Amino acid sequence: MGLFENLAGAAPELFTIKTMLLMMVGTMAGLIAGAIPGFTIAMAVVLVLPFPFSMTPVEGLATMIAVYVGGLSGGLMSGILTGIPGTPSSVATTFDGYPMARSGRPGLALGIGVWASFFGGVIASIVLMVVAPQLAMIGLEFQPVDYFSLILFALTVTASMAGDQILKGLMAALIGLLIATIGSDVVFGQPRFTFGVDSVAQGFAFLPVLVGLFAFSRLLGDVRTREKAHQRLGGEEAHAVHIDYLGSAREVIGRWGNILRSSLIGVFVGVLPAAGSTISNILAYDQAKKTSKESDTFGTGAVDGIIAPESANNATAGGALIVMMALGLPGDIMTAIMLGALLIHDVIPSPSFITDEPQIAYSIFLAFFVANFMMLFLQSFTLRGFVLVTKVKMYMLAAVILFYCSVGIFALNNVTYDMWTLFIFGIIGFVLRGLGFPIVPMVLGVVLGGIAESRLSQVFARSDDIMVFISRPWSLFFLLLGCFSLVFPFYQKNLGKKAWTRFFVPLLLIVQAVPVFMMPGIVRPSLAIAMAMTGGLMLIYRLRGEKLPNSAGSTNSTD
Amino acid sequence: MSLNRDAFVAVFFLLLCAVMFVASFDLPPPMFGQMSPALWPRIILVPLALLSVLLLFQSQRNPADNEKTSFSDWIEFNKRPFVCFVLFFLFLVTMPVAGMLLGGLAYVFLTLSVLGGWKPRQLGLHAVISAVFVIGMWAVFTQALGVLLPEGEILRVY
Repeated sequence: MGLFENLAGAAPELFTIKTMLLMMVGTMAGLIAGAIPGFTIAMAVVLVLPFPFSMTPVEGLATMIAVYVGGLSGGLMSGILTGIPGTPSSVATTFDGYPMARSGRPGLALGIGVWASFFGGVIASIVLMVVAPQLAMIGLEFQPVDYFSLILFALTVTASMAGDQILKGLMAALIGLLIATIGSDVVFGQPRFTFGVDSVAQGFAFLPVLVGLFAFSRLLGDVRTREKAHQRLGGEEAHAVHIDYLGSAREVIGRWGNILRSSLIGVFVGVLPAAGSTISNILAYDQAKKTSKESDTFGTGAVDGIIAPESANNATAGGALIVMMALGLPGDIMTAIMLGALLIHDVIPSPSFITDEPQIAYSIFLAFFVANFMMLFLQSFTLRGFVLVTKVKMYMLAAVILFYCSVGIFALNNVTYDMWTLFIFGIIGFVLRGLGFPIVPMVLGVVLGGIAESRLSQVFARSDDIMVFISRPWSLFFLLLGCFSLVFPFYQKNLGKKAWTRFFVPLLLIVQAVPVFMMPGIVRPSLAIAMAMTGGLMLIYRLRGEKLPNSAGSTNSTD
Repeated sequence: MSLNRDAFVAVFFLLLCAVMFVASFDLPPPMFGQMSPALWPRIILVPLALLSVLLLFQSQRNPADNEKTSFSDWIEFNKRPFVCFVLFFLFLVTMPVAGMLLGGLAYVFLTLSVLGGWKPRQLGLHAVISAVFVIGMWAVFTQALGVLLPEGEILRVY
């Protein structure tokens, strides 16, 4: 059966009054959960998990997807208004969303975030339905060594975003990885670096670490002086704040290239198991910054800086769903929970799942599409209430949010140990931020540390030959890309001043063509040849000191 | 050698790397041809130590880039955040006695007052904010979401 026949077959199952109501409640719950720092999407989806027992598989999974989509979008509210990402998937949204809100335009920032989330979700839905099998094939090619290299690449990218402080950025990433080693080792589960403290053997849960590093350092940094503490979040003109839907829609639609690119990055990262929206939002932001003609404005309230992470994080859900549905591999914790919900109903996802259970599979695809429209519709109401936060004085927000964070963190595992983790990492984050260390690479290091070690142990379990890191095309691809990411801040700083910067882009193309050429099939080697030829041509022209006759615009933009 | 902020940071991380590296020798040996539990931490510690050395050199080469603030000035600048940390610490320490509800009310009220001021009108506003938000959040978690928050010895509700 074709796509449309399958969708038509699934539609009656999904479009019932009960399922639609459940999805609306789920979307609203996700939006609220995502908006409260410390109360994450994962937690909201976990709270929903007991309900599918009494529902049909389609009802239960549609509700969970609604919570997931709502949560991904809800995170932008707290990220933009308070500077604390409601979820890890909106970390990069704070880079420009918060400065824009602080500069007196919170309504515009929120509107841009909502529209970007919506378009990201819709694009991902279409990709999910149309090219799902092809995208899932790429994820299938990945071996543990490729995952490990991907993680290294993700860390170098975040470190390189520290700009002049790349040294501290790299150190922060390594400190994050080191924090993740404390507790027990992933292979044998034996205590490691506990220094005699028994409770430390359980390690540090990611969410208390994230909230501690972000919430304390940011909130307490904002109340250092009496003047700052008494400042209203939306400035003294907070009463004039309103959400400029039309203006933000114009801004977003006018940057359709960024939306498309970021959404595709989101889908691609979502396809890769264990990558998830925590990585995609940062990668998309990085790419948007690199390709923008106004890269100087990033970090100060750039529109593209809000569009990129928000499009990507919603699109990642689509990519994660592809792998979960087609292969039974959870791309992130949310899809892992959904996998559990499917198993509740004796539905076992496998490569034949879509063909064996087309009604459930295509209902889920449709639910993801519909949930994005519900998110757009319901967020307008949720945002109106949430914007009131901007009228609150900073110290009031700080005190209340710190308490909410502690309650939310306790509720994750019902242990006070997590609250102590929150406190300790609050101090670490505050001190390190004060010393000029970027927090994001450290957080990413904590998240990815366990996964990286697990993948590395799988690599060594298969072979002791470390040449596998450069003999595997995808591994080499990510490692080389990681090296270029490390050089990128220097390239950006010296652009137009040093001669070597003229050869950065051509060399990137030529070097990256090598692993792409090593990949199987005809398409990718052909693409590699095109990349190498373009890079070679650019190199020759630049060596001669001339511009390419028909690509001056693109050359300037990449520069 | 110029002792500036980054130099202190670099030395601290070098010492940390040394301590962790030594501690990694206490970890059990690998079994069944698996990866050693000490390998991954050492892979992290070596570049971290190298980057710390680089930071130390950088701090000596460009000492002017570092802030020259006395310790007392730094304490004064961060006085309010430190008080907030102390209050949060007391909130956690008194949790078994006060519980999440009473402890939360006291913590939020005191944090608001430390940051916002102690005038009677402000104290009234802070009391209202504490009551509304703490009791509201406590009710949402315990009644609506069914989360069992820590009860205290003073008031045994959760």
